Amino acid sequence: MFKNFVAIIFLILIGTLLYSLTLRGVLGNPQASAFKNNLDQATKPFELSPERGRYLMTMSLGDFGRYDLTSDLADAAYPDVGIFDGRYYIFFAPGISILALPLYLIGKSIGFAQVGAFSTIAIFAVLNLVVLYKISKNIFKLPILLSLVAPLIFGFSSSGWSYATTLYQHHVTTFFVLSGFYAVWKYSQKAKFSWVWGAYTWLCYGLGMLIDYPNAFLMAPVMIYFFINSFSIQFSVESFKINARLAFIFTSILFILVSAWHGYFNYTNFGDWKKVSGSIVGVKHVRELDLLQISEADKASQVKAAESKKNPVGFFNEYNIPFGFYTVLISTDRGLLFYYPVFIFSFFGIYNLIKKGMTREVGTLLGIIAANVFLYSSWGDPWGGWAFGARYMILVSAVLSLFVGYWLQITRFKLVSRVFIFLTFGFSVAVALLGALTTNAVPPQIEGEYLKMKYNFALNYDFLMSGRSSSFVFNTYLQNRIDLFDYYVVLYWIIITAMLVILISSYYSNSKKNAN
Amino acid sequence: MQIKIKIPFSIWPKISDFFLSRKIELIIFVIATMCSITATYYYFSIDAIVAYGDSESHLNISKRIIDSITPGIAQAGGIWLPLPHLFMVPLVAIEPLYRTGLAGSIVSGVAYIIICVFLFKTVFLLTKNQLAGIIAALIFGLNPNVLYMQSTPMTEMVLIAFFILSSYYFLRFINDQRNMIYLVVAAFFGFCATLSRYDGWFLVMFEAFVLVLLYIRKREMWSKMQGLVVMFGSLAFVGIFLWFGWGYLILGDPLYFTNSQFSAKSQQNSWLSRGELPAYHNLAESIKYYTVTSWSNSGIIIFGVAIIGFLIYMFNKKFRYRYFTAIILLVPFIFNVLTMYLGQSVIFIPALTPISFEWRLFNVRYGLLMLPFIAIFASYLFSISARLTKLILAGLFIFQYLLFAVGYSHVLTLEDGTIGLSHAKRPDAEQWMKKSYDGGLVLLDDYARTISVVRSNIPMQNIIYIGNKPFWQESLKEPDRYAKWVIMQKEDTVWKAIYDDPVVQARLFKYFNKVYTSDEILIFKRIPNN
Repeated sequence: MFKNFVAIIFLILIGTLLYSLTLRGVLGNPQASAFKNNLDQATKPFELSPERGRYLMTMSLGDFGRYDLTSDLADAAYPDVGIFDGRYYIFFAPGISILALPLYLIGKSIGFAQVGAFSTIAIFAVLNLVVLYKISKNIFKLPILLSLVAPLIFGFSSSGWSYATTLYQHHVTTFFVLSGFYAVWKYSQKAKFSWVWGAYTWLCYGLGMLIDYPNAFLMAPVMIYFFINSFSIQFSVESFKINARLAFIFTSILFILVSAWHGYFNYTNFGDWKKVSGSIVGVKHVRELDLLQISEADKASQVKAAESKKNPVGFFNEYNIPFGFYTVLISTDRGLLFYYPVFIFSFFGIYNLIKKGMTREVGTLLGIIAANVFLYSSWGDPWGGWAFGARYMILVSAVLSLFVGYWLQITRFKLVSRVFIFLTFGFSVAVALLGALTTNAVPPQIEGEYLKMKYNFALNYDFLMSGRSSSFVFNTYLQNRIDLFDYYVVLYWIIITAMLVILISSYYSNSKKNAN
Repeated sequence: MQIKIKIPFSIWPKISDFFLSRKIELIIFVIATMCSITATYYYFSIDAIVAYGDSESHLNISKRIIDSITPGIAQAGGIWLPLPHLFMVPLVAIEPLYRTGLAGSIVSGVAYIIICVFLFKTVFLLTKNQLAGIIAALIFGLNPNVLYMQSTPMTEMVLIAFFILSSYYFLRFINDQRNMIYLVVAAFFGFCATLSRYDGWFLVMFEAFVLVLLYIRKREMWSKMQGLVVMFGSLAFVGIFLWFGWGYLILGDPLYFTNSQFSAKSQQNSWLSRGELPAYHNLAESIKYYTVTSWSNSGIIIFGVAIIGFLIYMFNKKFRYRYFTAIILLVPFIFNVLTMYLGQSVIFIPALTPISFEWRLFNVRYGLLMLPFIAIFASYLFSISARLTKLILAGLFIFQYLLFAVGYSHVLTLEDGTIGLSHAKRPDAEQWMKKSYDGGLVLLDDYARTISVVRSNIPMQNIIYIGNKPFWQESLKEPDRYAKWVIMQKEDTVWKAIYDDPVVQARLFKYFNKVYTSDEILIFKRIPNN
């Protein structure tokens, strides 16, 4: 129990340390006027519109108490801002902006508003490390040392690192999906108060949709797992029995309440409980109409027509799958396996688990991977815009990391496997840290070639060598004391050393166990 | 807190007896018939039955056999194999069935019903699981692309029917080699397949190949192997030789179907010259194109389930003849990949075809030929799964159909027929001709599909086209000799022979008035008393 506690503390400490040292930010409480041509440049905290838009909504909530943006804030959020009934809104779900509000306000009071807001995501990233550890330990039944492998792989050798230090939805999504999955497993143990875990699962589902709309689909495997653990059918010679756990139904009240609030939010802001922010007409489109110098009546009808055609679901299309699948998994500009080859070993783990016999838990985890890959392969923009690595595969990375840890446990080749994992982990960390320390504003190959820019971590390497970092700590306190490359090396060796110690210790621990 | 509901089995025997007392095949037959009629009615109501240009061509070939200036079996032509057209002949004799395309719908619909029933039987043969067989029939029968194609006068359903019939009896023979009758029946249906589409030729070749593989390892069985191959081949391959003979006797070239200007190969040459044959001499592209086309027809989720089922099947040593089964069921894949590689066929599909290409949707219906394979192995996976997994698979299948319903998965066969390259053009000239035609022979290049004979209501026996010797040849030199109407489209054979030739053009204008003009089509009518 103590060792377990120590392992969790270790993860919290190493996560907090490394995410703090790479957190993107600037000193002070930036205003909207500071964004354009300043804070929206590469390596600055608002280099890309998703984080910019979400932060500006947080600002609007914190400074003005409103969900819609003032025109100054809307200008700063451009182009990911829409207009409805004369009010400006970001295109994204409101959840991240609301979540970031407490630390934004606390940070603002001490001159660290932006850093405070961004730290919210880092906290969730650290929590994800702990959840992955718990899943490895309790569900996969791995020893403590090997249970640390999955968190380290996900946390520091995937695009998860780059997006732990900025205001995106991926870590929060991953947290809700993974903790929801773990909660269902606890619920299925039928211990006392297991209904609390059921309630938590429903809460995750409701909040997940508030964070990002595709989570309704991404969490579906977990909810199916939840359903299956709540209902069972038993056949006997004379009859069949349906067993139902009423907790499944009673605890859904939390989901209903959260969804009701979400619907109310949509209704008060967009006029319809089913209407989401992504479906309102963009300010960009309106400005283009302005250039046409048409009458107000024509403009209004064109705006209405554009809005009625806009269908967020329409961005997903089966035609996109072949190219999308290639892009997110193996392409040289975004491919998960190209950037982070350590995940290749997860397939060995998956194969062994399936051969051993598919359990509900393994089936659910594979379902999460399938749902994520399926959804974002179908997405019209599998690159995720300008981004570092396959950001849409962050949830997949988290799940795959579990199978790497599992494979290390069951493989016969204890030493060779550790050598290969270490080598690929080393490469993957080197790449992940490049992104975390420099910029996420990396173009897709198609745009990069047109702009004659590099389109993968090669661009980040150039940033590193020219001393351009996004790290708040480095830029604010260390820039004049230490070279960025040296800073990079220090962070790199921290995580590599941690993994090396874990792999060697687990090898000897296993050898000792076999000898006994 | 839990609730427990106990349902006694006393009500179940009545339900299960109802089904077991009737053969499942009969139930599938009835359900398939209802689906076929419903789907055909729907597509008839939206005027989509003769959407494909090829649909009309198939109807016209059948019609000309019995109703032409020069009727006869020679009208069956030399490019498309004749059997589907022969099936339509008695039906196109009924004018409304011809004009609406329902003549072809009936043939395709009957084929569809046969496929559903025999898919059930094939899966039951392999798995001994009735539920799996029903699932296979449902996967195939409820597929939106299948439901559309079975309502059209196209030939894919007929081919698939003979393919599944031949495969079923062949697999029965493999599993019970003492019973030669199965091999004979398989050979017969293989013969029918060889006269339906060229895919059938590969089927019988691979079936013969499997016969060799079955016995080749035991030297003492070689003479039996030879006998079986001869017995099988002497029926199954007859269709192929008949077709060569037909080509030689009627058209002067046994390889007319591939050498002629009307062949698929010739059509592909124009794309090749433009660099728009991406799979030509590129095996990886050919495999990619056909794989994506197959999954686009079946739905990606069902395709994925089928691949998992196939892999599990192949590793299951319980199935002694699994490799032979796989070879037979993969024949459509091998055939289509090979023909694309050789440039004999082409598929354009939006998921892969570059935006720069003139057309991005064409021949996607070829992916339907993999649907039996997909249905069989998806249902196999279902049959071996635990109860919970069965529930999840059922959920996935339903989810796939929901994806079709919301438009995420496309009914590609319908799209190709309505907006893709396969769609029949509907020029205004067609409606004009429908209103204005008042009898007389019409000179028309039917191959160029200038206007639709079906939709313009011109009686088939009044059409002069390339298959009407000597009317056609003589009319191209002397258009006034037989025709009252001359319809030509830019650069079609009639245009080139008459309009582009100053001497013949002069003759045309001497005896005809131009009564219709558009950018592409000109219509001339004989000057009365001239």
